Amino acid sequence: MFRFEIKKVFSRTGSRIALGMLVLILAVICWFAADVSYVNEKGDTEQGLSAVRSLREAQKEWAGVVDEEKVRQVIRENTRIRNSPEYRSEDVRQQEIAYSWGQGIMDLRRLLNCFYEENFRSYDYYLADGLSEEDAPEFYGNRVRLLREWLSGEAKDQFSDAEKEYLIREYEELKTPFYYDYMKGWEQLLEYSPTVIMITVLILGYLVAGIFSGEYQLKADAVFFSSLYGRNRATAAKVQAGFAIVTGIYWVQIALYTAFVLLYLGADGANCPVQITLWGWKCFYNISLWQAYGLAVLGGYLGCLFLTFAAMLTAAKSRSAVLAVIVPFAAIFLPSFLSDIPWQNLGKVLALLPDRLLQVFNALPLFELYNFGGRVAGAIPILFVVYVVLTALLPRVIYEVYRRTK
Amino acid sequence: MELRLSEVTKNYEKVTAVDGISCTLTRGVYGLLGVNGAGKTTLMRMLCTLQKPSSGKITWEGQDIFEMGGAYRKLLGYLPQEFGFYPEFTVYDYLLYIGSIKGLRPAAARQRAQTLMKQVGLFQERNKKMRKLSGGMKRRAGIAQALLNDPAVLILDEPTAGLDPNERIRFRNLISELSEKRIVLLSTHIVSDVEYIAGRIFLMKGGRIVLSGTAEELTDCMAGKVWDCLVPGEKTGMYLKKYKVSNVKSVHGGSQLRILSEEPPAAGAVPEKPSLEDVFLYYFGEKAGDEDVPV
Ligand SMILES: Nc1ncnc2c1ncn2[C@@H]1O[C@H](COP(=O)(O)OP(=O)(O)OP(=O)(O)O)[C@@H](O)[C@H]1O
Ligand SMILES: [Mg+2]
Repeated sequence: MFRFEIKKVFSRTGSRIALGMLVLILAVICWFAADVSYVNEKGDTEQGLSAVRSLREAQKEWAGVVDEEKVRQVIRENTRIRNSPEYRSEDVRQQEIAYSWGQGIMDLRRLLNCFYEENFRSYDYYLADGLSEEDAPEFYGNRVRLLREWLSGEAKDQFSDAEKEYLIREYEELKTPFYYDYMKGWEQLLEYSPTVIMITVLILGYLVAGIFSGEYQLKADAVFFSSLYGRNRATAAKVQAGFAIVTGIYWVQIALYTAFVLLYLGADGANCPVQITLWGWKCFYNISLWQAYGLAVLGGYLGCLFLTFAAMLTAAKSRSAVLAVIVPFAAIFLPSFLSDIPWQNLGKVLALLPDRLLQVFNALPLFELYNFGGRVAGAIPILFVVYVVLTALLPRVIYEVYRRTK
Repeated sequence: MELRLSEVTKNYEKVTAVDGISCTLTRGVYGLLGVNGAGKTTLMRMLCTLQKPSSGKITWEGQDIFEMGGAYRKLLGYLPQEFGFYPEFTVYDYLLYIGSIKGLRPAAARQRAQTLMKQVGLFQERNKKMRKLSGGMKRRAGIAQALLNDPAVLILDEPTAGLDPNERIRFRNLISELSEKRIVLLSTHIVSDVEYIAGRIFLMKGGRIVLSGTAEELTDCMAGKVWDCLVPGEKTGMYLKKYKVSNVKSVHGGSQLRILSEEPPAAGAVPEKPSLEDVFLYYFGEKAGDEDVPV
């Protein structure tokens, strides 16, 4: 039965086209993720694998513990470059040459822009240029100071005292000094993960939508339900087939994506903290890059299962594959429209919608907190708990709904 | 082997599709004859546990079929009127799949599917996709599907629709063969489908069984009501208006009419032996169907 259910899905021409599209879109995303350029000492821009190699080499020179001395070195090197005749030249090629020297410290220089900011919410690309070596000792302290200032100023009313304490504690608990390494692979991998996951969910939604509406559409339901196992095992086989298709395709997709990006760009820097990146420097979850990616793909899987189960349930109830396909679409695209509604608790609700699971990458740096009787927790762990429970319940619900149809 | 219906009724919002039907079915072929909307499909869907009666009870060997659930469905073979299938499956795969949901083991399903494909004349087409079959071939696949689990209760909703005369004869023979060890209930608009093979025929109208009996019993009660007479051409119209006429044949000097009437319709009318079609026409009031034009 299970085998035939799978066969039903993949014998449809539409399914085959959808699978083809999935492969095609993944290839395009990989192409974007792999787009790295490097400017060499002559000022020429390189692309492709050679650019990756050169960039990696340049940044590897700065790999190591980011202690005060390292911060000093970065500031010194940055100042040296800014004061060089090449940097100050009007000639574009000379400027490019100056730029080429800065690629090794690019990541760390960006971090200076963040940590020495006036204000938690601003970002000034040229800020690092105004730093001197005497500023180095304040490097890590700044991050906590900026948070404290923000919490007692601009964000005073956004958080309860317990939440403020929680955030500051998490900030203080971050292990410093950081370890820095070349990390382009992980950064790109994380950045494009929401796109890969969302596309996969939409296509999987399309693939499985027909499992529970097909019999009605084809008018094969009378034979199905009047058969011995129609209302039990054959229904269970449908749920299992949906689960197997979603699980199989999702993980193949993730494996292909991960393998390509990490093989092409390199897997170095897996243990760097997310706070060492421009994207994650404010993040209050103290995790490393590989852990963040792990959360992203696990969250993606959970969200994917939840939404495709929801689509199957819709199909079982409404007997319409079209309605079912709309479910994942709505779940992904509606929240961005909802965000305009002026309602103070909206943020708390939006942060727990299933689309967040598909974009853990975007959700990780957000300050979304929940209080339970004095305990404070971030949105991400809550999302996981809530959706593990819901997702575990859904197959049973689908089964019961479908087998009881008249 | 006993399938008993007692006061089975099915109401939809506006219509009562099946209205208090009681009868007992045992081994043999039963023909359900009725015009469109008589309630045949509704009755059959209830017998297949697809719909619950609004009131009344259906029992198998004394047990309510809805309470029996799987135990009853195991005994059931059903060919729906609107028979849907999986267009991308081959005939063979289709039968294997239905075999699996009917609880056949894979090896048994393979063997059974092959036997049945031969029996219904689809063996040549076994590797063709279902969507590429002709209408009649699909119907045959439907019949094969219903027989997969060797059902004790075989319910066929218009099984002969779309079959060519050869196939129809073949089908009749198949059903006769099958009826030896099971209950076969088949619905049709086509009198000749059931005339020879059905042990008992139910005439259904407006959700009720208006008449039932063997073909002879049904025709016997029409004895003396069927007349053959020759009328002049210009009077044909008048006769058609006044009487139920089951056949009109133009002959030299007028029309030869087969008229249903208690009294002789004209001087010189000759009594005829009634056929089942005459019965159908008499009860359903309109023009009786011939083989290819359903009522
Ligand atoms: N799902 C439904 N909802 C409402 N009314 C229905 C439904 N199904 C059937 N009916 C009505 O019940 C009556 C009996 O329909 P049914 O399909 O049982 O007739 P039938 O004898 O099988 O006709 P046919 O020869 O056309 O197949 C009809 O008046 C029909 O309109
Ligand atoms: Mg019908």
